Amino acid sequence: MGQLFAVEIIYRGVFQKTLAKNITRDIVLAAHNEGKLGISFGRYGDAPERNGIPAKSFAIVANDEQTLQEGMAQYEPKQVDLTVVLDDTLCKGAESWAWYGLQPVHHALKPGHALIVVSLQDAPALLKTIHRREQPYKLGILKGVTSFSGMWVYKDDHTDVRVLGAIAKALPEIVSLQAIEQFITEKLKSPLKVTSAKTAYDRFMTIDVEAGAGNPEELFKFELPKWEDMRDGVSIKGQPQGGPYKDPVTGQVGGFRPARNELFKKYSSRTQRPVVNFATCTKCTLCWLNCPDASFDVTAENTYDVNLEACCGCGVCEEVCPVQDCITMVNESQFKDNRSQYEAFQKDKDAYLKWLEKTIESAVPIEKRTHGFRYRGQYQEQVPEALEVARKG
Amino acid sequence: MSTTFIDEKPTQNLEAFKGVKKVPHEEYYTSGHRTCQACESAQIMKLMAKAAGPRTIVLGSTGCMYVANTSYYATPWGIPWMHTQLGSSGSGALGVAAALRVQMRKGFMKDEPINVIAFCGDGGGADMGLGAISATMTHPDYNLLILMYDNESYANTDIQISGTSPYGVNTSFSTPGKVKRIMHHRWKKNVAPLMLVGHPTCKYVGTISTSYPLQAMNNIRKALSIGGPTFIHCLNPCPKGWDFDPVLSFELGELAVNTGIWPLYEVENGKIKLYGKTEQIANGRFKRLPVRDYLLKQGRFAHFVEDDIEYFQSKIDEMWNKWLVPGVIPLQKELDADVPPAN
Repeated sequence: MGQLFAVEIIYRGVFQKTLAKNITRDIVLAAHNEGKLGISFGRYGDAPERNGIPAKSFAIVANDEQTLQEGMAQYEPKQVDLTVVLDDTLCKGAESWAWYGLQPVHHALKPGHALIVVSLQDAPALLKTIHRREQPYKLGILKGVTSFSGMWVYKDDHTDVRVLGAIAKALPEIVSLQAIEQFITEKLKSPLKVTSAKTAYDRFMTIDVEAGAGNPEELFKFELPKWEDMRDGVSIKGQPQGGPYKDPVTGQVGGFRPARNELFKKYSSRTQRPVVNFATCTKCTLCWLNCPDASFDVTAENTYDVNLEACCGCGVCEEVCPVQDCITMVNESQFKDNRSQYEAFQKDKDAYLKWLEKTIESAVPIEKRTHGFRYRGQYQEQVPEALEVARKG
Repeated sequence: MSTTFIDEKPTQNLEAFKGVKKVPHEEYYTSGHRTCQACESAQIMKLMAKAAGPRTIVLGSTGCMYVANTSYYATPWGIPWMHTQLGSSGSGALGVAAALRVQMRKGFMKDEPINVIAFCGDGGGADMGLGAISATMTHPDYNLLILMYDNESYANTDIQISGTSPYGVNTSFSTPGKVKRIMHHRWKKNVAPLMLVGHPTCKYVGTISTSYPLQAMNNIRKALSIGGPTFIHCLNPCPKGWDFDPVLSFELGELAVNTGIWPLYEVENGKIKLYGKTEQIANGRFKRLPVRDYLLKQGRFAHFVEDDIEYFQSKIDEMWNKWLVPGVIPLQKELDADVPPAN
């Protein structure tokens, strides 16, 4: 009976599809250099992928064919020896496109094993968002800018080989640094990438996370309907109509709050969220009208409050808003909850506006954002900066 | 007594929304669908449901807007919705309109006008369902709307070429290679004119864009009110398949119109009317933007070299300068030689 190792990569659908595919493929090809066998595959339930949705890609490696086949007989690895998270906003929990519900990022990680997160944050900051776990595990941070590209154009910023270097350090049993260096030299033919992998290997370290440490928040749960719950004519219940909006502070009634699908909330797709300045809002309706996810509540004052369980962070509201800085997209890692911004504004306008000013200060201007392809040549401009971060570690 | 064989039934007579502030707050297609960030196809579903109102039945053929909206016993729909097979949005809509009529005649349900809308993607409409939609367009007795949301590929199954994919585009079926750069040589199917020229009794055919939401809703309301089978073709930028930052969804919809690639028009009882920027382009009040502005913002055209951009531009120029009905009907009095760039 041989040994079987499984690695899972949690990534942002479409934006990091090629990156995740490359990493899992490269693990297997590098492991070949040591006479091991393996296979890499995307999670079946994630296809067809959607932009931003948390998705998974796996690599399983064994030292003999029978063991590999045993591993392949599973639909997906139930437990993994290593979890890699390619975008730190995923640490808030990953809800797949498919019927898995919202899961913490270490859901499938074996106790005592390593969780690798690509992030610019430090461990204490990340542990504020990563949910608590009954068993201890190890946390390692690969310092890096989140690498986002798209369906056709790939941003080659060395994130792939840096992750490989970190994997070799965290789990040398699956693949050694030497095998990875050989793979990069022979197949990717890039000495610079060998250096990137080696540097990541040398610098990578993990800390021990004790049982029970982390974000104590209860993950969003719901009852899964079953096929017997279907009604006559194989039908399901539609959404009821919403109703007027009741102001949480003044009690004023007006505007509108639509009913929303309780069985799929989209917020774990989000890497950035809109922050609204209700004081400068001109009530022009454009954010509300152009939101494909109907995520705006119309308040009693006819301003528009984002429902942060429905918003998936596309940024169209910011784009169509005619007022400067009225809607600003801010990286999701800045926030701890999905509470209503309008409610906070109504409770204490000055405090809210102060918070808003401070919060949008950290916003990355759109020209600098890495959220997919915006113009030709953009990735070439972004790569040096990403490499610089990697070099500094 | 009517002297024709056509048995017309009244419609709901939906008047145009007079400005964005008059648009009703109610959502009949709400949050919680499994689409991409900034999915403009979901946006047109929302606008369509809002425009049509509560007394509406929607049918959807297979595609993103089927799979993403009814997976796992969960739905954002607030009005009755039913799936039809990939190629049957036309027959599905006709069947539902006919069934409603029978139910009402037999007294099984209240006699009232109910909107019937069948939507289809470009795969379901421009490719597989074209025959059924065409047959439906020849039945003047039934009030229904076919709305084709066009993201220029089979986006749900990870971006394969459809009949409306533009020239040269990168898809799962036309990946550019080192030897051959352009792997898709066909031009986009011109679906709305196909409907309007081929079905003379059809009272309303038009194109819309989600970047002009008020106009889109009002055109949908007009199509539902005019009676008989009607057809609307909507262009929906797709962040996944077109490969762009989702924040650009709205802007790319505008750019498609402003570059002249996506003309906006409606044909009401045989009378054509260009509207919005398209009308300004046609009468010279707005100069078309270069297609380069549109193409270079999308990863699906990232392999285009200067020659390809120029060729694309020349085809759009031809559409506006040579066609007998500029931007709409591709009939020409004299033909120029078509010289696509070498690979």
